[in-house]
Amino acid sequence: MSYELQVNGKRHRVDTDADTPLLYVLRNELGLNGAKFGCGLGQCGACTVTLDGAPVMSCIVPVSVVGARKIGTVEGLGTATQPGVLQQAFIDEQAAQCGYCIAGMIMRAQALLDQHPAPSDEQIRRHMMPNLCRCGTHMRILRAVRRAADTLKAQDGGGRS
Amino acid sequence: MKGPGRRRRLWWWLLALAAVLAVVAFAIMWRPAIAPITAAPRFEPGLVEKGARVAALGTCAACHTVDPSRPFAGGFGLDTPFGTVYSTNITPDPRTGIGNWSEEAFTRAMREGVSRDGHLLYPAFPYNHYARMTGDDVRALYAYFMTRPPLDAPARTNEMTFPFGFRPLVGFWNLLYLDDAPFASDPKQSAEWNRGAYVADAMAHCSACHTPRTRLGGPDNQRFFDGGEAEDWYVPALNARSPSPLPWSREHLAAYLRTGIAPGHAAAGGPMQSVAENLRHAEPADIDALATYIHSFLAQAPERATPATRPGSLPVPKADDPDLARMRLGHEVYANACARCHDAGRAESSGTALPLQQAVALYDPDPRSLIHLVRDGIAPPDGEPARWMPGFGAILSDEQTIALAAYLRRYGAGQADWPDLAEQVRKGKP
Amino acid sequence: MNAPANSGRRRLLVGVGSLTLAFSLHPAWAQEGGKKKDGGLPGSLEKEPWLDAWIRIDANNAVTVFTGKAELGQGIRTALLQVAAEELQVNPDRIRMVTADTARTPNEGYTAGSHSMQDSGTALRHAAAQVRFILSGMAAGRFQVADSALTLRDGVFEAPGGRRVSYGELLAGRQLHLKADGKAPLRPRAVHTVSGKPLRRTDILAKVSGGIAYAQDLRLPGMVHARVVRPPSQASRLESVDIATVARQPGVLKVVRDGRYLAVIADGEYRAVKAATLLARAARWSVPASLPGTRDVPAEVRARPAEAMPILKRGSMQQDGRTLSATYTRPWQLHASIGPSCAVAQLVDGQYTVWTHSQGVYPLREALAEMLGVDKDTIRCIHVEGSGCYGHNGADDVAADAALLARSYPGRPVRVQWMREEEHAWEPIGPAMLVEARATLGVDGRIADWEYAVTSPSHNNRPGKAGNLLAATHLAKPFTPPPGKPIPQPEGGGDRNAIPYYVLPNARVTHRFQHNAPLRTSALRSLGAYCNVFAIESFMDELAQAAHADPVAFRLRHLDDPRAIDVVKLAANKFGWGRGKPGPRRGRGFAFARYKNLAAYCALALEVEVARETGFVRIVRAVAAVDCGEIVNPDGVRNQIEGGIIQSASWTLLEQVRFDERQIQTVDWASYPILRFNQVPGQLEVHLIDRPGEPFLGTGEASQGPAAAALANAVAQAAGVRVRDLPLDRARMRNA
Repeated sequence: MSYELQVNGKRHRVDTDADTPLLYVLRNELGLNGAKFGCGLGQCGACTVTLDGAPVMSCIVPVSVVGARKIGTVEGLGTATQPGVLQQAFIDEQAAQCGYCIAGMIMRAQALLDQHPAPSDEQIRRHMMPNLCRCGTHMRILRAVRRAADTLKAQDGGGRS
Repeated sequence: MKGPGRRRRLWWWLLALAAVLAVVAFAIMWRPAIAPITAAPRFEPGLVEKGARVAALGTCAACHTVDPSRPFAGGFGLDTPFGTVYSTNITPDPRTGIGNWSEEAFTRAMREGVSRDGHLLYPAFPYNHYARMTGDDVRALYAYFMTRPPLDAPARTNEMTFPFGFRPLVGFWNLLYLDDAPFASDPKQSAEWNRGAYVADAMAHCSACHTPRTRLGGPDNQRFFDGGEAEDWYVPALNARSPSPLPWSREHLAAYLRTGIAPGHAAAGGPMQSVAENLRHAEPADIDALATYIHSFLAQAPERATPATRPGSLPVPKADDPDLARMRLGHEVYANACARCHDAGRAESSGTALPLQQAVALYDPDPRSLIHLVRDGIAPPDGEPARWMPGFGAILSDEQTIALAAYLRRYGAGQADWPDLAEQVRKGKP
Repeated sequence: MNAPANSGRRRLLVGVGSLTLAFSLHPAWAQEGGKKKDGGLPGSLEKEPWLDAWIRIDANNAVTVFTGKAELGQGIRTALLQVAAEELQVNPDRIRMVTADTARTPNEGYTAGSHSMQDSGTALRHAAAQVRFILSGMAAGRFQVADSALTLRDGVFEAPGGRRVSYGELLAGRQLHLKADGKAPLRPRAVHTVSGKPLRRTDILAKVSGGIAYAQDLRLPGMVHARVVRPPSQASRLESVDIATVARQPGVLKVVRDGRYLAVIADGEYRAVKAATLLARAARWSVPASLPGTRDVPAEVRARPAEAMPILKRGSMQQDGRTLSATYTRPWQLHASIGPSCAVAQLVDGQYTVWTHSQGVYPLREALAEMLGVDKDTIRCIHVEGSGCYGHNGADDVAADAALLARSYPGRPVRVQWMREEEHAWEPIGPAMLVEARATLGVDGRIADWEYAVTSPSHNNRPGKAGNLLAATHLAKPFTPPPGKPIPQPEGGGDRNAIPYYVLPNARVTHRFQHNAPLRTSALRSLGAYCNVFAIESFMDELAQAAHADPVAFRLRHLDDPRAIDVVKLAANKFGWGRGKPGPRRGRGFAFARYKNLAAYCALALEVEVARETGFVRIVRAVAAVDCGEIVNPDGVRNQIEGGIIQSASWTLLEQVRFDERQIQTVDWASYPILRFNQVPGQLEVHLIDRPGEPFLGTGEASQGPAAAALANAVAQAAGVRVRDLPLDRARMRNA
């Protein structure tokens, strides 16, 4: 079946089975490597992308339910030469060991910062819980999210009411 | 002297009546403070150990423990029709907990719903059940709580709708619903059944959720175990009106109470999940007794012919279905999002889940539990192994959720539609 | 150092297919550098002495550095690049690193055991220094000046007067086909500009922006997708399977059956997944009761026969005094890599190419050759990064799957991705172990006698042999797993770190090696050190308590290595050990170990808060001190230590494999929970002691053991009860 998907602001048309999880569509049909296969069970978050801004586990999202909703992946936040705020924060904190969980972590964090631009450390910790890291990079990941939040706050310059 | 004299007498009588009423009302609404204790009490070790078992059966932690690193520090918000009540800190902290409560004060709270300083507690705290606990059990429970590490956790302010913020009104509720007659065994029943009845009524307070409540929020004992609601979940009936599509055996029930899972029936979700987490630490014999008691009611449910006896892939909607469009959408969601796990048999992986024909939530008289399950899934307690269903709240739109629920109800359970399904789905994700 | 110009330095040799240069050794070289051990060349140069196997320089001055080690996410690619860049004096971005490829790089065995810096780093350092030295001589010759008159920057020599020549121009396309001698002078630490400085890892950029980074991301033209259907257990027998229905499914290209090995190849990934599910349903297995269950793991470990292998016998028995004894146990535990293993293989014109995240491409090649019954020269194994493996996980097995399926479906690249349940149930697991410790305290408060026995099956079933590959054991003509072998000291397997680093005048340590185990076991990060350090350091605390001594002071009493003393004091100091008392429900714990007694030193202090009613252990803060010799990439060291502490905390507080009589029950994150964000430490600090000039010491596994023990010690103080059986999970802590 043919599906039209909105990914990172661009429209794509893909041909695949209705029950194909979005994860495989993103990776195999659209060549987007960010979201990763970690469990296929919605338990680890390596596949996290955003759907209309909310974090979802793309391994349990059948492509046929997405419809016109906007999909966001790590590729939409920036590139290797022009990383977005969160990506830059992860680079600055060198927040990765094997790095396999990181794209999912970034999307999970992005969803938080979009909703709560000034989260407390406790809020960040709680929010990130659905995502697993096996290498033990947690401290750096938390610091990277904190750094990105602080950067965004400084960029706003307190202009928001 | 007639006329003004009579009127004056009338006024005096009314005044006297008002005074009497005021005194009565005062008596209903006001309780004295009990003096705080100054020294920490001591208890024999066996009593504390027994109190732990009582606390497990009483499921105290279900409301009073929110953060597993701070047991009994309270802070859990229970939504009631009268507002949101937050559980309090029941660690023996002198300032923010019950550290300066005497056993008398504790007992009064348990049996009468009165705090040490005399203010009335909301019956969100099920003292109308604990009232029937034996003196020994209350004493053991006191010993247990007074020996927990004290934690500093001030009570959160409740958010009550007017006028229920005025606590003394609870006195009237107590008048109607607080029955402090001690528990009475039924001589016609076995010792195990009676033990189970005691556990269920005086400690685990099952009927607090499993029996409907009156408009005033009290137990509607005419409809004992007819089902109820808790935290926006529908709570199933445990008697002849049980929605369960398959009959429960006593063993399955005991397994469910102990582990939160009964193969072929259910995994405990929502409020029942924390009940099972507490009961897990109770004496196995008490859980068996509880199961015996509850089962005596559940066994009254007539055998029904339901699709639950024929698990497998759910069928495609019939071509002549009056809601064909919606059913087709629901079937599509089921086939693409649910079937991968719910149609995969049963193995150790959480990627193999209960066949939906057997899911009790589909047979409930209202769809709230199903909506919660679809949206939030079932997550294990922090760091403990269990089965896991992911939540689809951000994945399925309202329309998809409505269609899925309607489809499952009709083609999974073969039951009549839920009339308020769309409304329940749309009223928002909490 | 003066070099006489043109004094017969060069001789042109024609090498294989390209012009190469060979040099005779200048006598002055014989003086410096050359950290020879036992008369051999430094590090991996001993196995691969040719300089051009390690470093090649193009005519345009691009530098390619080869290492037989693999990037596992531990940052080794960057660290080795720094070493080479430093000695070659080129900018890091001029260098292209080529890692572990049987067609292109030296054979450095496995990337394991925290050997990479010691083996490859040392080799590259000496090789690069020698290359620089040779080229310096060539430049000096060309410009007719002394070596010392040249300045060197980014691979370009400049002579007085501004004349310049680059490495590439000097070599003009030829390579240095010369054997290393390990004697070239190394750049002193004081002038280092790259090595020892935090250099950003080269791989993180792609990982945060969705670039191609992993084996899982490989996309080759014409690639097809495969999934394997594994037996319900290793002892299961395949009674029947209906292949025909599966073969007809949309997208299915082939269904493979070879004995009880079942797999499906499809043109799309999810179609392969679905077809495999169908294939699993279409198979009938008999699943015998072949496992002992995990209801009482210590008892099962005890019951299994073991061969006593003494590894230390010092002094004599001195059991006058207060004697303590204790038994410590560790359950079966998993690597549980976050990304299940993946490989791609292709068979074209009789040549296999296998893209794999195996830790050892050369040994893997041997095993594949045996399994496929072909000459190993027909197989090329190329390392591509996987997710963290933490030892021997499913990487080699999935490579075997891919090779087998490439053979079944030649011509096109076949990608095999393990499912989550497959990785959990079939990876070679970390073995269950049991330790019995006994010690006597003398009147002087010191340990007068020490007796220690560790019981464990093998920690090494890595390929080499086809029988080590899972698929090979399921074929119609199955390969038998070779018997597990112990790893000799000083490395050790189950007995790694079984010999305490403390001064113990009378000590006897025995490794009770078990030839059999109910499940396949292999190396899990730090091997036996995790359990041994947990046991030794817990026992040290118990002894300290019996001696009425502070745990840190007690350890210092028994250490004589000044570097050990330094890390212990640093960790204690930075933590504030001994200052103030922990609050209610809280406890503090300390631990120290030197990994393998010859690699990095690590001391760790931490504070926990224990809620007995829920069994929940919260790590409030942790402070580590590490000495790993001369530091190449300080941030890399910190990352590995932090990661090791958190991973070890997860093992220690949560993890155990469960199985009943028939099957494994821990098959996903729900049944095998690991640490989540709510349970990582509130604060974590790592302090490094740099030792310029000292050899690089392996660090990647140094904190696993100390973290377990520090946790156990802190929990013992917080909970008021000593738990000796891992994990300290919520159920155990509730009932403790």
